[in-house]
Amino acid sequence: MLRITGGKVYDPANGINGKIRDLFIQDGRFVPAGAGGRTIDATGMIIFPGGVDVHTHVAGGAINFARAMMPEDHRRAQAFIRSKSRRSGLGGMAPTTFATGYLYAGLGFTTVNEAAVPVLSARHTHEELSDIPIVDKCSLVLMANNEIMLDLLEAGEYERAKNVMAWYLWAAKSYGVKAVNPGGVAAWKWGKDAKQLSDSIEGYSKLTPGNIVTALARMCDELKLPHPLHLHCNNLGAPGNISTTLDTLQHLEGHRAHIAHSQYHAYGGDDWDTMQSSTTELADYFNTHRNLTTDAGAILFGDTVTITADGPWQHLLYKLTGRKWGNLDIENETGCGIVPYTYRPSNLVNAVQWAAGLELLLLIEDPWQVFLSTDHPNGGCFWRYPEIIELLMCADHRKECLKQLPDNIKGRVKLPEIDREYTLYDVATAMSAGPARALGLKTKGNLGAGCDADVVIYEEDDSVIRMFSHPRYVIKAGEVVIEDGDIRETPEGREFLIKPGYDPSTEEFIQPLFEDCYTMSFDNYPVELERIKRPDIQQCGAAE
Amino acid sequence: MQKSKFLPRGRKDRTMVLVDIRETKSAKAADIFLQVKPGKDFELLTILRAMIKDQPVNQAMVAETGVSLQALQDLVNRMKSCKFGCMFFGMGLSMTRGKHMNSAALLTLAAEMNAYTKFVAMPMRGHGNVTGADVVMRSQTGYPFGITFNRGYPRYNPGEFSTVDVLVRGDTDAAFIIGADPGATMPQPAINHLACIPTIVLDPHVTHTSKLARVHITTAPAGIAAPGTAYRMDEIPMPLKPALKSPYPTDEEVVRRIREAIEKKPFWMPDDSEQMTLAQV
Repeated sequence: MLRITGGKVYDPANGINGKIRDLFIQDGRFVPAGAGGRTIDATGMIIFPGGVDVHTHVAGGAINFARAMMPEDHRRAQAFIRSKSRRSGLGGMAPTTFATGYLYAGLGFTTVNEAAVPVLSARHTHEELSDIPIVDKCSLVLMANNEIMLDLLEAGEYERAKNVMAWYLWAAKSYGVKAVNPGGVAAWKWGKDAKQLSDSIEGYSKLTPGNIVTALARMCDELKLPHPLHLHCNNLGAPGNISTTLDTLQHLEGHRAHIAHSQYHAYGGDDWDTMQSSTTELADYFNTHRNLTTDAGAILFGDTVTITADGPWQHLLYKLTGRKWGNLDIENETGCGIVPYTYRPSNLVNAVQWAAGLELLLLIEDPWQVFLSTDHPNGGCFWRYPEIIELLMCADHRKECLKQLPDNIKGRVKLPEIDREYTLYDVATAMSAGPARALGLKTKGNLGAGCDADVVIYEEDDSVIRMFSHPRYVIKAGEVVIEDGDIRETPEGREFLIKPGYDPSTEEFIQPLFEDCYTMSFDNYPVELERIKRPDIQQCGAAE
Repeated sequence: MQKSKFLPRGRKDRTMVLVDIRETKSAKAADIFLQVKPGKDFELLTILRAMIKDQPVNQAMVAETGVSLQALQDLVNRMKSCKFGCMFFGMGLSMTRGKHMNSAALLTLAAEMNAYTKFVAMPMRGHGNVTGADVVMRSQTGYPFGITFNRGYPRYNPGEFSTVDVLVRGDTDAAFIIGADPGATMPQPAINHLACIPTIVLDPHVTHTSKLARVHITTAPAGIAAPGTAYRMDEIPMPLKPALKSPYPTDEEVVRRIREAIEKKPFWMPDDSEQMTLAQV
């Protein structure tokens, strides 16, 4: 039994907004009441449910390639010195596995969603995920450029495609479906892209990105996945891409979906010189369509490394910056590109991006629809989240920051006209309760009885950034993992998996295709359940 | 060779060009063989980079590479007109004159080729599970090899912290070797140092290194009698499914038991290390 008494509780899932409440924890979960055991006196402190990152890249072949590409960053990164309770590692742009767990827990985050996993290398992603201590994890599998999937959609075999998707999900031991630049990454195998929803896709005659988006969203709904289609739209990063994004959202009409890092998809203008923020249009769409959620993908000025399955975009970024470029083609499944990047306040495009991310967080009215993210490490590293929270909570601080932007930013962004300031309740929704609900993780982001006892306790502080950077206590599954700035315990987290039902004939269908499509045998392909250290399996969608 | 939707005739739909300093057995499998003069890889790659961008090249410099201008022009045309190009490279580039500069030139060539068609490059790694070791070191420490933990956290400097450098300098007072036989490949001063310190070898076989080691623990051979994971050169992990049973423990089991025994001893680091806080975030 662990009791937390006297703290001011912010628990949006239960509508509790800053009330003094006592929390009782038994066997890793909240219970209505109890006695005995340790008591933490949280008088004068602020209590949130543990943070949930809905979209991050912390494990897998791509981030690991980025680590290899950036030794110069590791050299200046925060070093984690080995101790009795802690293994050594490095922070920085692409933190090492052990350090990733320490850094997330250090910020009060207790659940993270690795948002892009190719099935072919999922076995490796799980190796890395199981190395990340403390936090619970789930992962999304890349589906929108998979050759078998696209061939089926091209042939109009929707039902079979749905079964194949379900088979892939379990083969990868995944939690949900990610779509990245649908069709565009498949076209990148030919050095091409597919930017608009009605574009043709190289190698296909009828299929368009629009067909893929709609079909995948429908499949996720029909399979009753806890998390809907997680979509990285086509035409990322390009001036004027707001029309593509709105077109994509219209293709999702009638379905649930989560739009990843929408900041990168909310630009007006015709070229880099005329680029401007079009977040008002995008926010208006979200404000009138409750079937959708999104994460901001906000950027912060400074150095980072960009990692995405969007291969053609990364080639463009390499050409724009002339910096290092890594390209990974994952056979017939997906692609990936890695380019280090520096966001500069003096750069007009970067300035627009910076404002756009904050605008989305402030203009989308319902905090249950828009969540805190930097698309780590693309817009900035996750350990810089407190900087964003400060920008959201303090309009004056935003105004100060706007002053360092170029003069010609005027008229291109809406941020100077926005006075909204996040309350603590809004922050708790955007960093915990909201993303947990969007992920369908019913026991997360919720301080109610029966839920996982993941709690972060902050010392109330005038400095928002200091308060959110240094929680006084972090409790994971009832265990005090951070106390007074020290890592006390490093328990292993769980991994959430879904097991969707599928037609038993699906394997007979896929197996022969392996001979043609894959360089790995069918038997070796699925990740063995025994490789997942602490699986938490949820069944969904009955077999047909 | 594999047939596929876009290459229905398999090998016949592919073109393989081999570049080497001598006509090896691989030349027979190749469609085109280009014999480069030893130590001229960097020059050849740089000339190719110029020709791909239609820049003039110096005839005398081309001649020095040992490959004719005509052959190079043919290669450039083939590269630009192919659907998907892939360059594989190995120690012939990375361990000869120019070393990492050669690899950098090749990788730049691959990157620049993407202005014309899809092109990639991939290093051909050593035998066994070199790629797997590299992948795990990267995810846990940020670096692939040449890592020191002597300050309690990982630092990297090939040429200083690589195994061979540490051994030659005599900077290590014990060695623990798994799945490698440095006694067969490393320079004599490194081998001499291994022989004077407590060297512990885990290996299924008697090797040059096991013969000079103080302790040789025989382990079950991975993939034959021990399960596990091996990484392909493209960093895709493959499960190892043992076909035989072995009376010997696996490498993993031995390491785990050693670690468990060490954990029973008093923690060796000063308590001060516990004071390392998150305040630096």
